[in-house]
Amino acid sequence: MVLLRLENVTKRFGGLVAVNRVSLKINSGEFVGIVGPNGSGKTTLFNLISGVYFPDKGDVFFEGKNITRLPPYKRAPLGLGRTFQIPRPFGSATVRENVAVGAMFGSLGGKINVDESLELADQIIERIGLGEHRKKRASTLTAVEKKMMEIARALAMKPKLLLMDEAMAGMHPKDIDQTVSLIKQIAVEENIAIVAMVEHIMRAVLGMAEKVIVLHQGSKLVDAPTKEALEDSRVVEVYLGRPLEE
Amino acid sequence: MRKTVQRYYPLFPVFAAYFILFLVGKNVSGMWQLVSTLLFYCALGQAFNIFLGMTGYVDFGYVAFMGVGTYGMAIAITRLAHVEALGVLIVAIGFAMALVMAALLSVAVGAVALRLRGAYFAIATIGVNEGFRFLIEGAKIWNGSDGMIFTAQLNQILGRETASALSTFWADVIVLIIAVLAAFVTLFYMKSKIGYALTALREDEDAAVVMGINVTKYKIIAFITSASFAGLVGATSWALKTPYVFPPEVFEIHYTIEAIIIVLLGGAGTLLGPVAGALIYGISKYYLSIFLPGFQLLIFAPIIIIIIILFPEGVIGMLKKSFRDSTLMRFII
Amino acid sequence: MLLEHLAGNLIQGLVLGAIYGMATMGLSLIFGVLKVVNVGHGAFIMVGAFITLWIFNALGLNPIFSIPIAFAVGLGLGLIFYSLAIRKLLKAPELSTLLATFAIGILLEELVKLIFGSEFRGYNWVVGKINLGVTVLPVAKLYACIGSIIIALLLYLWFNRTRAGSAVRSVVEDDEGARVCGVNVGGVYALSFAIGIGLTVASGVLVTMFIPVGINPYMGGGYTLKAFVIAVLGGLSSPYGAFFGGLIFGIVENGSYTLFALIPGVEPFALTRFLSFVMLLVILLIRPTGILKAK
Repeated sequence: MVLLRLENVTKRFGGLVAVNRVSLKINSGEFVGIVGPNGSGKTTLFNLISGVYFPDKGDVFFEGKNITRLPPYKRAPLGLGRTFQIPRPFGSATVRENVAVGAMFGSLGGKINVDESLELADQIIERIGLGEHRKKRASTLTAVEKKMMEIARALAMKPKLLLMDEAMAGMHPKDIDQTVSLIKQIAVEENIAIVAMVEHIMRAVLGMAEKVIVLHQGSKLVDAPTKEALEDSRVVEVYLGRPLEE
Repeated sequence: MRKTVQRYYPLFPVFAAYFILFLVGKNVSGMWQLVSTLLFYCALGQAFNIFLGMTGYVDFGYVAFMGVGTYGMAIAITRLAHVEALGVLIVAIGFAMALVMAALLSVAVGAVALRLRGAYFAIATIGVNEGFRFLIEGAKIWNGSDGMIFTAQLNQILGRETASALSTFWADVIVLIIAVLAAFVTLFYMKSKIGYALTALREDEDAAVVMGINVTKYKIIAFITSASFAGLVGATSWALKTPYVFPPEVFEIHYTIEAIIIVLLGGAGTLLGPVAGALIYGISKYYLSIFLPGFQLLIFAPIIIIIIILFPEGVIGMLKKSFRDSTLMRFII
Repeated sequence: MLLEHLAGNLIQGLVLGAIYGMATMGLSLIFGVLKVVNVGHGAFIMVGAFITLWIFNALGLNPIFSIPIAFAVGLGLGLIFYSLAIRKLLKAPELSTLLATFAIGILLEELVKLIFGSEFRGYNWVVGKINLGVTVLPVAKLYACIGSIIIALLLYLWFNRTRAGSAVRSVVEDDEGARVCGVNVGGVYALSFAIGIGLTVASGVLVTMFIPVGINPYMGGGYTLKAFVIAVLGGLSSPYGAFFGGLIFGIVENGSYTLFALIPGVEPFALTRFLSFVMLLVILLIRPTGILKAK
């Protein structure tokens, strides 16, 4: 079943075209990697999907419903969660409270009260491995811990689609493997589609992906099953001179 | 059940402080004047904290809500004084007027100004406050700059003795009740989704929106609640205690600044903070005016700057940080 | 008759507007570079007024000489307040700088009150009047207007023709970008704050040349509020925007006063102030970048 569909989406900033006529489909439960160097329009694409920006042209559909002009706070309850490239914790709140916010205003929205949200937050924090930091202020976490907390916060939203913006950047390769497989496991259990965005071709992330989309200068270059995409000559050309392994 | 009770533990120190204040004022001779001022600051701080502390938005025009609250009471008393059957009920009608007028103004202001952020919001609210004052003066609304004096009407309908008791004692008791109510509402918000939404938007508004929080809705809730309490404080501390109203006085920006100092001094966004701030600010201002008359502001100004730089989280904020996890902290938020 | 009266008032408004504009450039410079709203703005204008008064009465010097002196004093005050307070608050939430600058304003007011007392003062500089037909313009006001224009031009040249000026401009555009390009952003902050305060104190001199009476420690409040409106008219972060905003404000203020005075049963002065705040809100809502920017 198609969960998210973009049709000819274009976004300009001044004279610059950040995203140029991009169309794509994400099926429910699918793990998709989006690759593109800095400035290729990845973050803008995420912002268009989560509603931070509205596209100049084109449409966005979620579960068949046109959400092109829906404000972001109305998209989250539909089942759209995300993390940010640079973590954006609610600094003065504790880790537990941060994650509970996700539960309270995500897709469980009206169905969950504060106490239940906190309980759910505790479960997710435990599972993601932040148990000992539960009562710490989010602002006191390390950069990697903040990233993990953001993932927990997004998972607490019980999303159908989880957008992860450079979620693994800065982590040890060993931790990346662990984290990716943990997230994949949760995603399978809860039938979450994941779109993970990476700047470089990270085998650890893309290896889990069923499909890889490569962006180049705002346009979609390749959209194919992972193995095929990574062997595509155009991709090799874009990444020429860059290490294929992170 | 136990959880629900535990949730309201933090009200104990707040109410204890109010209770002690009241006892001191009642039993120590010559203290009522100071206690009355302190209660005013407590109520003001507690009311302003609901918006300023919980959202992080700086409303420089907050005093306007106290101003219209004062007008609400003044209008009720002057227009209805001839209906003798009303008696004390006139005060209740005054409060209703004050509440409605402050809430209406906050809806109007909020709809306009809350679209702005940061410094733009602060400047817009100054504009609203000053603009409203000059509209009243310029278009001669509610007697314009002549203001309204209603001591005679209050004496006429309540009798001289009751009117005097109202302004010297009962008004302060009502302020205390308003402060208690504001504390209760603050805690209720903190423990509900409203509080979580406000914390999120205070820390990072853009991230909060993406997390599914309708930030405009929650900002407006906090704004209207805070403004309504301000209206009640104005109706009591200004209209009932001193039965007159002049535009330059009730729109004086210094009251907003006092409220900001109280909230910040005690700890913005905490429950006990505004009480601590009100006591520290009120008591030191009172004694400075006795021992160093005329120098209060000269002494306060550098102290404020030092506090902002060194203790930005306020007294209660610091306490919370140092004593995290101890049992005592169950009572202090 | 009415038209003549209106024309006369508009000319006065234009002269006053130039001074208003100059008196707001410092506020805009500081906001543009540091993103700090100086709520104590008016107090610095007051300091300039007292410098003029003191130099005129004690030394018998012509107010024009006070302009560079006031500017120098402002630079000093700016550096002191920047290093003691503002620098430490640049990363703090808005509330902190808003309250800190307000407290700095109070501190200045109370210090001046301590030294000079709180009564209204004035000085009398006799340099004659010019009859323009529709209105009579005191030469002192004309000097103040010309002085404002010259200072605005000097600031323009400094901004556009010097290295320091272009560093400041790059920080206004994008401070991260400027940092990457090797601009000493901290230095630019300090310099801009000092120059902003210098301009503001100097504008206090020009203000008294326009109105040489009513000088007292608390005279600044009204100017702070007007400066906010003017700065917003000019886009808040552009000093020249502020200058032209001042011209517009002066004209609107004087023109609307003449018109409001025709309505029976109102106080035209208060309505003029009301109008200015309506302007403020409307611009903030529909065009927060100011009415002068093309973008």
